[in-house]
Amino acid sequence: MAAVEITEETKQQAERVGPADVVVGIAGAVSADELRARAQQILSELGSGASSLRFVFAWPGAAPEAAAGAAQPAESPALTLIPFSPPAQGTGEIWADVSASQRAVLALAASLNARACIVLGSDLAALRTHLIQLFTYAVLDRQCGLVMPVYPFAKYDGLINSGILSPLSRALYGKRVHYPLAFDFAASGALCAGLARTSPAAANSLLWPVTVAATQFPQLPVGQVHLDVHHQVAAEGLELSAVLGQLAGSLFQEMDQCASHWQRIRGSQATPAWGNAADGQPEVQPIDPQPMLDSFLLGSKNLEEVWRLLLPPNALLELRRLTKLPSDQFRMPDDLWACIVYDFALAYRLRTINRVHLLGAFTPLYLGWVASYVREVSNLSSAAAEQRLEQFARAWEEKKPYLLSRWRWPDRFNP
Amino acid sequence: MWQQVEQSLHSSMGLVMNKIATLLPGILAFIAAFLFFLLIGWLVALLVRRILTAMHFDERMRGGASAIAEWSPRATPSLLVGRVVFWCFVFAGVVVGVSALGTSEHIVSGWMLGYVPRLVGAAILLLAGNVLARFVARSVLITGVNLNLSYARLLSMGVRWMILVLTGAMVLDHLALGGAIVELGFGILFGGIVFALALAVGLGSRDLVSRSLEREASRPVEVAQPEKIHHF
Repeated sequence: MAAVEITEETKQQAERVGPADVVVGIAGAVSADELRARAQQILSELGSGASSLRFVFAWPGAAPEAAAGAAQPAESPALTLIPFSPPAQGTGEIWADVSASQRAVLALAASLNARACIVLGSDLAALRTHLIQLFTYAVLDRQCGLVMPVYPFAKYDGLINSGILSPLSRALYGKRVHYPLAFDFAASGALCAGLARTSPAAANSLLWPVTVAATQFPQLPVGQVHLDVHHQVAAEGLELSAVLGQLAGSLFQEMDQCASHWQRIRGSQATPAWGNAADGQPEVQPIDPQPMLDSFLLGSKNLEEVWRLLLPPNALLELRRLTKLPSDQFRMPDDLWACIVYDFALAYRLRTINRVHLLGAFTPLYLGWVASYVREVSNLSSAAAEQRLEQFARAWEEKKPYLLSRWRWPDRFNP
Repeated sequence: MWQQVEQSLHSSMGLVMNKIATLLPGILAFIAAFLFFLLIGWLVALLVRRILTAMHFDERMRGGASAIAEWSPRATPSLLVGRVVFWCFVFAGVVVGVSALGTSEHIVSGWMLGYVPRLVGAAILLLAGNVLARFVARSVLITGVNLNLSYARLLSMGVRWMILVLTGAMVLDHLALGGAIVELGFGILFGGIVFALALAVGLGSRDLVSRSLEREASRPVEVAQPEKIHHF
């Protein structure tokens, strides 16, 4: 295990600043002036409630900008800004770079002996007084180790999260977290150092906050807060298969590394949530799932020889049956989709085929699930769609024994 | 007469025994060299694996986007390196053994010995060509499907056969079989394929291409519609 290193310059500034109660870190490039203005506004709005807490705001600042506005006691005595240098990633993959900055913020918070660290996305959408209050309340007053966000997504938003990341993370680690891949979250002081510390093999992990909290700090409770925030992900130029490959690959790798932990976990625990859930999501127009269905059918026509290497015969039979259904009756059963993802995770671990090929062959299957989901929830309200996703996640938990059995005895035939 | 038959049998038996006796040291040298290198290879591979495990080589390889980790199917990278070291020693043992056999200057002619490296080289070329053809064909197929190309399989098969034909020509050339005919035949075949494709696009699809260009030119500028579905 190695801790994320913060630069000497950042260390010196941290020593100069001294201990802090709450570190609010921005994981991405941001203007120091804008951050200072927003931070001052937050501190003044917090008023007397924050007088007993010392806030430090951190952002990945460049040297000239840092010299202009950093670590200087600002107008308000409670406001302190510290720039830090995130570790050079240069992967060009959006989540990998964000993840590296998040770890650097946590390392800085650990060096400041902070009681709580709030990590926020670089668009500053979540840098608002009531959200800072919510995170602080959950960590300091409710003694949560990790606090994850609940975003007000519509039923057709964040489908990789709804269809793979959230149910798989829940089935594996037993924590019902809505958004394990989050731009904003908070950690207690006890967890900061643990989250910043990571083995070299886990450096590419993207869902590490929940994984580390569930596997290494199971005694610390996990909570959630409702955020009325929509982050803008720069989706232009990103190909679905590349993004899906990155996310699923990271998750499968994490599964391999934490196998000894998640094999012992049964069922899942509800995570308490605070804040007001956005009521009355705007109803969106139904979407035509035919293009996604066509992609699935094209995949099943051409990639069966690849799928045959990765999936057991019964899953292949089910998929073949699905391709023969009329498009208006197309529906992928929850347990089939869960088993497919589990089988791909196993094949990833066993390196049955090249991993890039494996993740590429996963995209048409995912689009098949999306087509099925879109058709199913088209006439449902957002609340009903949320209920449907809860039922969907339970199917993943029920199928966990299948994963355990295949993981332990991969060569045994599974009818 | 019986004495002559007996004498002739004795002399032929003596000749055969003599030949076997002169060949035996070579065969024994081959077996000894092979077994010696096998043992050394096994020991060195074991040592390499132990050292790599102590250095946490597998974890380091998995940590980054390592090429070795990607190219070691069903095995850890340290196992892969151990196997490569082992087979290098086995190969060296075969080469030394064959050389020892060759020095006995019996039965195995110099020509055959000289041809062995070519055979080994050709086998490696054939294997590498097959692996590459399979890998590239699968990559093209998966990428094509993800791009929603209905002719993805056709494209993949075309790429596969192009690589296989190229490999075949290289193998024959390496074995020095066919001489100039292979080069000429391959040149004609490859050139023919390219020429046929050029003709197909230039003549056969002329109308299609012009219609497509006209359609693109006359298409009004579309305002991008916001996507209703978000995967991430």
